[in-house]
Amino acid sequence: MPDIGVALSTIASGVLLGGILALTALGLSIVLGVMRLVNLAHGEFLVLGAYAGLFFLQFTGVDPLLGLPVIALLLAAFAIPLYRWLLQPLADRGPEAQMMTMFAVSIILQNLFVLAFSADTRSIARDYAALPLTLGPITVPLIYLIGFAISVIAILIVNWVVSSTAFGRDLRASAADAEAAATMGVDVKSVRMLTFALGVACAGMGGALIGAAFQFGPSSGGAYLLNSLAVVVLGGLGNVLGTLAGGLVLGALQSLGGLTLGDGYRDLVGMALFLAVLAFRPDGFLARGRP
Amino acid sequence: MRHPTKTCLAAAIAAASFGLSQAHADEIVIGASLPLSGPLAGFGSFQQWGYKRAVDEVNKAGGISVGGKKEMVKLIIRDDKTDPNATAANTETLISRDHVVAMLGSCTPALVNAGALVAERAKKPLVTGCDPLEAFKSVRKWKWVWDIFFDEPDLASVELKAVADLGAKTNMKIALWHDNGPDGQVVGGQIWPNVAKQFGYEVVQNAEFPVDNTQFTSIIGEAKSKEAEVVLVDAITPQAVAIRKQMAASGYTPKVLNIEKGAEPVQFAEALGKLADGVLVGGYWDPSFPYPGAADLAKAFESETKLSSSQHIADSYAAAQVLLDGIAAAGSTDPEKINAALAKTDKTYVVGPVKFDENHTAKLPVVSLQWQGGKTVVVWPKSAKTGDLLFPVP
Amino acid sequence: MIGKAAAGGVVETAVILIVAAALWFAPAFAGDYWLQIGFRALIYLSLAEGWNLMAGSAGLVSLGASCFVGLGAYVVFGLLNKLDMPPPLALALAAAAGGALAAFVSPALFRLRGLYFTVGTLALAELLRLTMINVSLFGGATGIFLAQDPPDLPALFHCALVVAFLASLAITFCARTRASVILRAVRDDEDAAAQMGVRPFRVKLAAFALASAISAMAGGVQAIKLGAIEPYGIFGLQWSIDVLSMAIIGGVGLRLGPLVGVIFVIALGELLADYPEAHVAIAGVILIVLIRFAPRGVVGLVAYQKLASRRPATA
Repeated sequence: MPDIGVALSTIASGVLLGGILALTALGLSIVLGVMRLVNLAHGEFLVLGAYAGLFFLQFTGVDPLLGLPVIALLLAAFAIPLYRWLLQPLADRGPEAQMMTMFAVSIILQNLFVLAFSADTRSIARDYAALPLTLGPITVPLIYLIGFAISVIAILIVNWVVSSTAFGRDLRASAADAEAAATMGVDVKSVRMLTFALGVACAGMGGALIGAAFQFGPSSGGAYLLNSLAVVVLGGLGNVLGTLAGGLVLGALQSLGGLTLGDGYRDLVGMALFLAVLAFRPDGFLARGRP
Repeated sequence: MRHPTKTCLAAAIAAASFGLSQAHADEIVIGASLPLSGPLAGFGSFQQWGYKRAVDEVNKAGGISVGGKKEMVKLIIRDDKTDPNATAANTETLISRDHVVAMLGSCTPALVNAGALVAERAKKPLVTGCDPLEAFKSVRKWKWVWDIFFDEPDLASVELKAVADLGAKTNMKIALWHDNGPDGQVVGGQIWPNVAKQFGYEVVQNAEFPVDNTQFTSIIGEAKSKEAEVVLVDAITPQAVAIRKQMAASGYTPKVLNIEKGAEPVQFAEALGKLADGVLVGGYWDPSFPYPGAADLAKAFESETKLSSSQHIADSYAAAQVLLDGIAAAGSTDPEKINAALAKTDKTYVVGPVKFDENHTAKLPVVSLQWQGGKTVVVWPKSAKTGDLLFPVP
Repeated sequence: MIGKAAAGGVVETAVILIVAAALWFAPAFAGDYWLQIGFRALIYLSLAEGWNLMAGSAGLVSLGASCFVGLGAYVVFGLLNKLDMPPPLALALAAAAGGALAAFVSPALFRLRGLYFTVGTLALAELLRLTMINVSLFGGATGIFLAQDPPDLPALFHCALVVAFLASLAITFCARTRASVILRAVRDDEDAAAQMGVRPFRVKLAAFALASAISAMAGGVQAIKLGAIEPYGIFGLQWSIDVLSMAIIGGVGLRLGPLVGVIFVIALGELLADYPEAHVAIAGVILIVLIRFAPRGVVGLVAYQKLASRRPATA
């Protein structure tokens, strides 16, 4: 039986980590919700964000967490041509065509990462990323708390954009029924393009955060894609606040799994939960029934 | 509908046969499948360099004399994407399409074994490094495959020997963390508990985790609460970086920290900065070793690639030299003869003396390295040492 | 209409029989290289045929091929190593296991439509992989070695040929009988089909279980050839993605799509093998271009061009 301090610390870290996972999953959720696209390159966009954070620090000396808005803009600027040239022409062709295109983008990016940055494992070395935070019997990594705070703020901002702005209204309309939205004068094409850019920007911010808190390399994306998918399904597709809740629940349950069965079972617990929710509450565990 | 597809089929087959490379009669073709992409791409790039260098040197010297005629060596390298299925497929293609006379290995037991099993079945010699000997021997009794690398028991005991020998004092409580890969299970699951007992340690924790695990908070928390002052870890580089960072972020610093495998490449120290200081790792090669060409090899690598060198350039370079020497000694491209010549290998290479035993393995001696200020220093044995042990871990 | 289709089915079956019979003698005159390529193509053909049946006919877009490939591999190794079973029996049982797993998870997965199904199959494969990694009974991350020596290449080729033959025959049966009409009805509008008295669940289950059984059998043959399996490779996402890209490149829902896609992707891989540093990126670019400009895959592209050139006036 693990010591009570270890147990509490692990669960606290799990919940905070869940917050970070929520930010990494947010972009995937938005894109899925509005475009019905499983963005198989989502993990590579995270990794791209992490590299952006690393080089941002190297070239400007500015802390990548302060530079998150800049990284988000850079990634959004990268996403727009990608959408215009690769995804938009396939808009009427069913989900597989876009999904495979994004898969192709993901393998191209992985290959380019190796060619440009070598296959080395990287980490954005920051002093605060290696400091513990102790409150009574609980010790958590300080960076988890910082990451959690940043995630919550970012998610609240995105939530505000989606729920309270004109763009958000169009976005929700396009997600619910693209054809109806188009007849009501919503420019669905632009909405989708901006949604995609927003999704990629969120992935970039999540990636920079991961870069500081953990480590990454050219092929790290795949694992984060799966984790993000689990968060999205738990929280419900396209549901911004649900994503946060999904992240927290996943983080807490994964750490419980790690605590009782061993750290190796973390991901296993996550995937089992993911499938269970898919099977019994496909609209997320928060959903009150099918819309 | 059937007709257009036939055209298409014919075109595809024509395109495929176009790709068939014509082997020149006056060339000795050898091949290798390496992880040039995917998680192990880092290792693959070092190995590629080592293999190519050995072949280039032989070609510059006029090639190898086969049947009384000097012939150039052609090395064909294929990428296996860190996927054993691809290693097997690549090895098959090297044998059946490119008609290689012999091959060099990939990296890590999973990949090396996948290719080696194909070579074994096709009766083509394959020389490899990068596959720890116990993991290699556990697969089968090899006839055509030869492995030059360290032996897990040596690696597993080197750090505790070093710590005891250098007189570093701890509370003798030890935590063992290892991944569940083939070498991790051998080292962490079987050898370490025994070695620790031999040296008088109390094993307070023995934790296993999947190779690609990313969260270690509960493992670290437990070791901290049990006050282990010595921690031995067996993990690949991404996990090694994660573990070191999460240890710091949990406020846990043992006095002795050894991270096998993962702490070995320079990227470990680059990713961690100051946190790498004091981490011990077993090594089988360092440019300071007193073997012919050791210092030059590292220098050549660094000036050519502008990257920091790794011990993987040495075992791959040596493996290729052993194979090329074998072909030269056989004086033939007959696989049977080359294999017989490989069995007689007995010479000092850049990694030290190489002589295969009845299990087809050649053991490399292991030293204890420690990261200090972004560089590794040999701290043990005393005969090879280039610096003093930093104790305890800062 | 159906009578015509059935007549087509007889022709198709005959063609498959003749081609398979001809290929049976391939080891006598084809070199090792072509046998290796042929083996790979037959394994992928089996997988892609199954995928095409699910996606093209029943609208089930799966990313879970690796799940059943891996399952088949582990089942076959277990039966061969522990029970010393003859390989054909082990392969048959692997197929049964694949079908059984599909049936077992279908109540959960079929609650999901469209994207959810895709995501669910992906998660299922990952779950199985993680289980194999963590449970030492299955060899953990080290995996399992085959105790006996694998059969020689011609025998393996024959094995793969039989699997691909069965797969093609089964798919022809589904595509040329009343089953195809039902499958398509379910794909196009599940609810409407249900009102017409079709039971979508059973129809989808049949397609899913059949494709899964075929995949598990193919996985078993691949594993016997490898002689050693471990979870990262045999449950790798690569299988699922390869199969998906082959089916899409060939042409989703087209009878010859999988065959053409498999040949195209394997030929491409062999051609790019001499550029190990950039082959992945080049393959990605080609994939993007193909998806963009050949909406119905290579088969669709060629067939459409023929049609256009034959009837220029009406175009």
